[in-house]
Amino acid sequence: MRNGTGEVAAFRNVSKSYGRVRAVDGLDLVLHPGETVALLGPNGAGKSSSLDLLLGLREPDRGSVSLFGTTPRAAVEAGRVGAMLQSGGLMSDVKVRELVAFACAVHPRGHRPAEVLTQAGITEIADRRVDKLSGGQEQRVRFALAIAGANDLIVLDEPTTGMDVSVRRQFWAAMRAEADAGRTVLFATHYLEEADTIADRVLVLHKGRLIADGTSAEIKAKAGARRISFELHPDDGPVDEAALRALPGTVSLDLTGRPDGVRTVRIRSTDADAGVAGLYRAGLFPRGLEVTSLGLEQAFLTITGAQDEHDSQDERQDERQDEKVEENAR
Amino acid sequence: MTTLIKLEIMRTLRNKRYLLFTVLYPALLYVFFISAYSGGSVAGGIPAKSYFMVSMATFGAVGAVLTGSAQRISLERKSGWVRQLRLTALPGRAYTLGKIAACAVTTLPAIGVVFAIGAIEGVHLSAAQWLGLAAALWLGSFVFAALGVALGYAAQPDAVQPIVMIVYMLMALFGGTWFPVGDSLKKFAQFNPVYLYNRLAGFVQPGHTLDTTAVAGLAAFLALFVAVAAHLYRKDARQA
Repeated sequence: MRNGTGEVAAFRNVSKSYGRVRAVDGLDLVLHPGETVALLGPNGAGKSSSLDLLLGLREPDRGSVSLFGTTPRAAVEAGRVGAMLQSGGLMSDVKVRELVAFACAVHPRGHRPAEVLTQAGITEIADRRVDKLSGGQEQRVRFALAIAGANDLIVLDEPTTGMDVSVRRQFWAAMRAEADAGRTVLFATHYLEEADTIADRVLVLHKGRLIADGTSAEIKAKAGARRISFELHPDDGPVDEAALRALPGTVSLDLTGRPDGVRTVRIRSTDADAGVAGLYRAGLFPRGLEVTSLGLEQAFLTITGAQDEHDSQDERQDERQDEKVEENAR
Repeated sequence: MTTLIKLEIMRTLRNKRYLLFTVLYPALLYVFFISAYSGGSVAGGIPAKSYFMVSMATFGAVGAVLTGSAQRISLERKSGWVRQLRLTALPGRAYTLGKIAACAVTTLPAIGVVFAIGAIEGVHLSAAQWLGLAAALWLGSFVFAALGVALGYAAQPDAVQPIVMIVYMLMALFGGTWFPVGDSLKKFAQFNPVYLYNRLAGFVQPGHTLDTTAVAGLAAFLALFVAVAAHLYRKDARQA
């Protein structure tokens, strides 16, 4: 830990509204040195707003945001933060090399431009005009601006948007090099695979609130990370739905019937091993049994879906909403 | 901050549209006016080549600073470059100062080219008068740079271009850029910064000194535009 408090960034009960829309709602969050953190959330979840608050581009209505124990602006001025914003434009009528050299020059702990160009993988386009770049190339130039100096925290808002697959891989390799050098990395993404494979901590933001915080394995477990699916045939005996629901680890149950009486069962479970054992113990004979792992994507949908369900129940006791969420979770 | 200013100046000079509209266009118009008046004088007895040398230099200078500041600031607010800059250690005002500095440098070619044509066409001034005139027109252009900054923070990019064109053309039309302002309109022209700007050049005429009312008027406009620009800039900074 390079700073005394062991805190890179802290949100303390932070809220921010735009008009009547509450973009960030009571956010409490601490980032620790050396973490690679993914910020997940559907569009409008408050990801970009949270990053704006973190970087001091906006002021919170309530609560406080601190970066390295000081204000975001002071941390930016001290050259401790580099950021790549979704909405971060680039200067036109200059060459890539000139823009990167500028970013290095104004950074209090700037690197050599040639190093930054190599690190960001843009050496071969260094003499191109910034306004003549493709979307993916522009993203890499933005990345170069974010790593122009020896930052302790790098913030990236949907960094790989517009990059093709090979460039994306190259980008994450560069990002990993930054993380391995001991930097804290916070990135917002809607590619769940990126969060799954790159982040060692995943934050799920929904309607401005933090609804999950853990490793991607923990998030998956929370959502019921495995799916047990099988068929029950009528000649194997009657089906007791209550018994299925009572299986250990069951998060949700989905039962569909065919005209010939065969029923398909899909169970989302936090403990598939115990669930399958319980199935046999209940005297059922599952056919075509499959246990599959859910990706973070499914886990994510489940968590945000459950949160929506929770919210709507808070607002009005609507039974039908339950079915709808089940529908979405499928 | 000097790094940003250097980069701003370089990119402006590199922009071909800038050179076309703010340097070449007034120079061509000047040549056109000289031939149209074929050595004659405008109303009021001033030789056309002298009169239009000043008015085309101011026309180019105003165009250079208005487009250089208003359009670019508006575009770069929209594109997010302004936000990106806020993530550097540069102080917030560096951006605006960079724009004004770039404007100040880029008015010089606009004035210089027209003056060079004037000298070739036989406008006779002493060295001190040439220098004084260039200095007066250069300093006067800062009034319009401040106006440009204010417009850049006031309007969206798709609106700022027509606004700049309309403001620029109206001020030029009633400010003596295309023809001397008639006596009946002079009352109103006092409130037109371009008219006051053109009057700065009056001291080179025999028997005239620097028009202090024009200087005072321009100073008032500068104060007004700076105040509005500063207000809009602060508002923009809060909204990121």
